[in-house]
Amino acid sequence: MPLDTSTYSLALLRLDGRRWNELRRLHAQISVQAAASGSSYLEMGNTKILCTVSGPSEARRGAGGGGAGSSEGNLEVDVSFAGFSGVERRKRRQDKRTTDLSHTLTSSLTPLLHLHLYPHSTITLTLSILSQDGSLLAACINSATLALIDAGVPMTDYLTAVTCASSPSTSDEEAGDPLLDVNSAEEQELPFLTLGTVGREGRVGVCVMESRVRGEGVEGMVAVGIEGCARVREIVDGVVRGYGKRFA
Amino acid sequence: MPITILSPSAAIPPQHAPPDDEDIPMADDDDSAFLSTAQPSSKNIVTPGETITSDPQWMRGHGTYIPPNTSTIISTVAGTLHKTNKLLSVQPLRARYQPEIGDLVIGRIVSVQTKKWSVDIAAPTLASLPLSSINLPGGILRRRTAVDELNIRTFFSEGDLLVAEVQQLHNDGNAALHTRSLKYGKLRNGVFTALAGAGGGIMSRRGGVVRSKRQTFTLQTAAGEIGVVLGVNGYIFVSKHVAPAEARDVSITRLEEGVSETLYSSQNDEVEPGLRREIARVSTLVRGLVACGAKVDEDMIVRVYEAAVEMEEEERVMGEKVFGVGEGAKGVVRSVLDRLAVG
Amino acid sequence: MPRETEISVNERAFIQQALQENLRLDGRAFDAFRPLELTFGDEYGVADVQLGKTRVIARISVDVAVPPPERKFDGIFQIIAEFSPMASPAFEVGRPSDAEMVLSRILEKAIRRSNALDTESLCIIAGLKCFALRADVHIIDHDGGLVDASCIAVMAALQHFRRPDVVVEGEKATILSVREREPIPLSILHQPLCVSFSYFEDGEIFLIDANLSEEQVRNAEIIVTMNKHGEVCQIAKYGGATVDPLALLNCTNVALQKVKEMSKIIQGKLEADAKKRDAGGLMAELSAENER
Repeated sequence: MPLDTSTYSLALLRLDGRRWNELRRLHAQISVQAAASGSSYLEMGNTKILCTVSGPSEARRGAGGGGAGSSEGNLEVDVSFAGFSGVERRKRRQDKRTTDLSHTLTSSLTPLLHLHLYPHSTITLTLSILSQDGSLLAACINSATLALIDAGVPMTDYLTAVTCASSPSTSDEEAGDPLLDVNSAEEQELPFLTLGTVGREGRVGVCVMESRVRGEGVEGMVAVGIEGCARVREIVDGVVRGYGKRFA
Repeated sequence: MPITILSPSAAIPPQHAPPDDEDIPMADDDDSAFLSTAQPSSKNIVTPGETITSDPQWMRGHGTYIPPNTSTIISTVAGTLHKTNKLLSVQPLRARYQPEIGDLVIGRIVSVQTKKWSVDIAAPTLASLPLSSINLPGGILRRRTAVDELNIRTFFSEGDLLVAEVQQLHNDGNAALHTRSLKYGKLRNGVFTALAGAGGGIMSRRGGVVRSKRQTFTLQTAAGEIGVVLGVNGYIFVSKHVAPAEARDVSITRLEEGVSETLYSSQNDEVEPGLRREIARVSTLVRGLVACGAKVDEDMIVRVYEAAVEMEEEERVMGEKVFGVGEGAKGVVRSVLDRLAVG
Repeated sequence: MPRETEISVNERAFIQQALQENLRLDGRAFDAFRPLELTFGDEYGVADVQLGKTRVIARISVDVAVPPPERKFDGIFQIIAEFSPMASPAFEVGRPSDAEMVLSRILEKAIRRSNALDTESLCIIAGLKCFALRADVHIIDHDGGLVDASCIAVMAALQHFRRPDVVVEGEKATILSVREREPIPLSILHQPLCVSFSYFEDGEIFLIDANLSEEQVRNAEIIVTMNKHGEVCQIAKYGGATVDPLALLNCTNVALQKVKEMSKIIQGKLEADAKKRDAGGLMAELSAENER
């Protein structure tokens, strides 16, 4: 059922009462699972993800990608949706969206990790999506980054991501306001873009957009996305430091 | 027309209380290029991507990297900064075990090959234990023969636990083990505990096995002696202590012969129920110690064990739960630690 | 698993060095496509695209099917892209590689999700009958730029395709054969085209339409899909080395220009083909003039 987003232009408040540049509540924990080498639990609003890392450990024989025998370790990503995570219960386990998610995670995280330190090894990243409410890819990226830090895998910098949407424009000339950190209601209605940046300088590591939007809209979304990623990085960094203090 | 990125007009309102720890300030280009205090302090947590120093006089160690064409040292893990002379390294808060020569480790045989075993020691790759690095039955100085190769499964087969020492590291990080000492060899009569992420003898980290003088020791209990082996890799084995055959003739060669009969046996001895209970207690306490973030070494285990036994005794006498013991191993250890702190 | 033979260290260094000196090995400018050859088959809906040595054939076929219950008023449109060992020894049947997955996902997003084809026009009787359109993409030869070439091929084939006309009387639909009624073109809402940018030297150098060896050397790629009206249909940068956000935005500007050029070429070819078909066809028949 289409949602009415036309009220945005009147009050400049979104469906859930946020302004255009507000993030949802971002809550994260690390070391949530004792058995894994590293783990994290992340909530971005109602999107909830549990991520565990196992390894680096000996590459499985005959595993794809030629993990064994290569001079670099390789990263394997496995994404699974809990049956109760969405509005509808999903029947198929593997579909294109899942493989797309895991491919994006693999290829965006691999260049950041110092895998040359772990020859012949595999790092396995398992993401369980417990609840989805928009910004799924962004939340996956953030939780994967946290879990890898918890596992003590050396990496160049944080990769943090947010999803931005472009609100419907009021006039034909100008693109509408960009909206930061969309929820699923907004995602269904508006074109959105997921942006992941590395480090403080805001260099773009991931940029995925799947919906049609005017060229000017992209500019706005990228600009807001970079600010949002920097903010997420601060929060996530705070989580790691807070955890580190327990051992200090 | 070139595109410019306009920053949003209003700042993002904070939804979170700012991290209340004293954040390490950003690197400035002035002479105080070094951010952290001069003393290696465990207070300072660095996180990935954080500039540690841009002073070229420092050398980078583990947990850091230098981006190409710069002299800036940047941290790659979240952990504490350590300085050894001019070497800067970051010890991660939690990491997988990285083998080092001389480490006493506990391993599990994963596969048997013609002349060696592959052993899981919780490291990034499997370690190898060559047939030539074990004590063969019938004397320490014997050459290994083709018969030994054929009988390789009689020494260790898949799933066996053993205690060994890291003898050598290959340049790709693979470890080679040896068990050429009476201290080492197959493990039996006990229970194995793996402490994930707690291995590695991490200097800064509390709550893990630390490299210490004695990794194996015996514990006196009411029900008998218990042997504890603390693998540096975070694997721990608690078992019934079997006294070495000292009563026999103490000539070196004879001793070897005497031991060799039981050295590679996979048969457990008779373990009395009382002793089993104590073994279980010790391994639970070790897990609890890690969960509480305490150091795991001989001294700590002995103290905590004795306090735990005392506590149980008192509870039994009083006939009710006196101490607010929480759930699980963590709760037990926490109340034991509280008690030790008070007492 | 057979793998693409990795480029040698020497060649890699050579290509990178040449790029630093503003040279591409095939002498193209950095923002130039390889010569685009587009030919249509004898049948409607077959497009053969040659982009340098890369060759892709797209074929549209149609069938009548029952629409999915949740989308009663829509037809079915599928794009199937599979790598066959014909194009490169590295491709294997039955085990999709990452590149194959990326290709089919990008085509899906670029063409299907951006509503390039009006699927509602494929509906015959709501909830009972609809046309099921299927675009098969065959990679005949692989020398880089598969996404760009496949997208051109599918879009050209869609515009070239004619579906049979249909007469509906109540619950009964009759499909008229080509002889009975001239088949009608699909309703195409807009024409998305992909431009892939490969970047080198940490985002300092951008190349359009990299060939296979350049693809093997690059840091990563950004695939931008746009139409000639300036709408961005899809952006995909799945990872790889990082890039400056300004450079990323600049890509959309360059892509727009390229898409406009390519649209013009495709339009020209379509018109030429239509004229050729008309030569002895309907128009000639309808004209009453006699040749004297």
